[in-house]
Amino acid sequence: MSDKVARSSTATRIQVGVLDNLIWVITLALFAIFSLTIPHFFTGKNIQFMFYDAAAIGMLVFAEAIALISGNLDLSVARNSGLTAMFVGMLLTRWVPGIPGWAGIILMPAVGGMLGAINGFFVGRVKLDPFLVTLSTFLMFDWTTYVINKGAIINLAPALVFPGGEKLFGIFFAIVVLFAVFGVMHFVLEQTRFGGYIRAIGGNAEAAGMNGINVPWMNFWVFTLAGTLAGVAALLYTGYLESIPSTIASGDAIFLAFAGAIIGGVSLHGGEGSIVGAFGGVLLLGVIDTGTAMTNVDPAVRGVINGAILLLAILIDRFRVTLRDRLLLPSRATRASPPAEERPRP
Amino acid sequence: MTATTRPAQSGDPPEASARVPLLRLENIEKWFGTVYALRGVTLSIYPGEVVGLIGDNGAGKSTLIKIVSGVLPQTRGSISWKGQPVRITSVKTARGLGIETVYQDRAVVGNLSVAQNIFMGREPVKRLGFLQRVDKAKMRLEAERLARDLELNIPSPDQQVRFCSGGEMQGVAISRAMHFRASLVILDEPTTALAVSGVHRVLNFIRRLRDEDIACLFVTHNLHDVHAVADRFVIMHQGTVIAKRAKKDVTVEQLTSLQLAGTGSGEKKHDATR
Repeated sequence: MSDKVARSSTATRIQVGVLDNLIWVITLALFAIFSLTIPHFFTGKNIQFMFYDAAAIGMLVFAEAIALISGNLDLSVARNSGLTAMFVGMLLTRWVPGIPGWAGIILMPAVGGMLGAINGFFVGRVKLDPFLVTLSTFLMFDWTTYVINKGAIINLAPALVFPGGEKLFGIFFAIVVLFAVFGVMHFVLEQTRFGGYIRAIGGNAEAAGMNGINVPWMNFWVFTLAGTLAGVAALLYTGYLESIPSTIASGDAIFLAFAGAIIGGVSLHGGEGSIVGAFGGVLLLGVIDTGTAMTNVDPAVRGVINGAILLLAILIDRFRVTLRDRLLLPSRATRASPPAEERPRP
Repeated sequence: MTATTRPAQSGDPPEASARVPLLRLENIEKWFGTVYALRGVTLSIYPGEVVGLIGDNGAGKSTLIKIVSGVLPQTRGSISWKGQPVRITSVKTARGLGIETVYQDRAVVGNLSVAQNIFMGREPVKRLGFLQRVDKAKMRLEAERLARDLELNIPSPDQQVRFCSGGEMQGVAISRAMHFRASLVILDEPTTALAVSGVHRVLNFIRRLRDEDIACLFVTHNLHDVHAVADRFVIMHQGTVIAKRAKKDVTVEQLTSLQLAGTGSGEKKHDATR
């Protein structure tokens, strides 16, 4: 957010700009290293696959980013995707086979949104802790997936598989979805009242309430939005796998959703972070995933690497925030020397 | 100062009967279960005047301002605004009437910019097809003007509020009242947590509000600060108004003994020092 430094010196502005986009510097650096060291990494085909690979998890990262920026967190997004995919899959293939396959494209985001609204109701209206609420719904979503079907649905309609699995003019449609959702979410967060209120309740919910923002309502819509994105992820996973197994979007998915958002500079304490940063986090996950896949690293080792990179990213982020605050402190940049007792509070 | 336009105030201004008060509280009572917090509080605030509401902890000052700003409903009693009876049921109704409350530095969001904080909840928007987009340029411009007006030492309206000092944070909150043309600003202990320079700054804000003909209810137990700017004082003790004084009729020392008057021990202590 370089617009936060309108009148400081050019040098400061460039430094802050680099810090704000540090995730992109890291992502591009790793991309360059892999391009130079891994044969066939830097090819159009592989780069496209990298984006394609990152699309579904990208939806979950955006969902988690929104939840975190609003001062909440959502442990259930990944399994929301799983349950949504399984529920809609069963609906289309077993329960009500008369529904056309393309209807799933609308149904998945809708069902995901409704599951998210359950979280929203309990956090917003009943005012329960988001960790506890989404922990409960995570367990419920997770096991309901197995309750309704143990195994995989494979005979899916081509229309349902299209968004996540097929190409349009030589480009995977999932990549188009990734960029479109990125654009919409960025616009919502930075340019609309709703987005401003997400940041406000995450920064200081009490103050937001004093200024007439309906905090319970905002919480409700944040979780509903996160659930809707989980529904879009369900659609992309379904196409990617060309089937709906009970294990869809399970395992690491939820942790990678957190990792992508946090690596991208979204604060666990609410209020801070951007969709541009989260997008950088998504791509870093994509670069790591494709890079390690191409070097035939043992999948177990890849998991360890993911964890180590997250820890490293958190360390870098702490250093980044400290440095950024030091650069932005107005007393350094513009004030001669304020009296000690007028110094800004931390 | 603009004393000529102001009624000669003593407890309740003599000419007041001729003027319609901006806010009139009549026999306000507030009970929490079987415990009362306010009893028979009657109080008027006239346009453009600064009223100091003083009293020790537990006097009922906070409860009273919560009722006026729409946070709590009163148990009994009536409120009128510009002569019309009103029911203040929420913060939004209070703001709709033109009552803004500045809660020290508690009502700002540190990680939002100065401009975003001033306009929070009431952002100007531009239409963009069927979408509404926050008009950031307008907010920035207006915030810059307000900051200059209030002499806030803020390098940019884009600066995050967490980098502001406590006094400046209150300045940001007061900018809201100025921009949205409030008629009454309630300041809750505005100088309590501030250093000397911050106190000066806030007292200047209050003088600015008065120059704009905005009435001010300055709630505090710091008599020195309030004596410097208020036109009139209302002293509360244990949920009731025990005295009203015009500034010209009272010194800080007299206010101190009034504030302590209700507490028998305070009076004795005061006498003992003589």
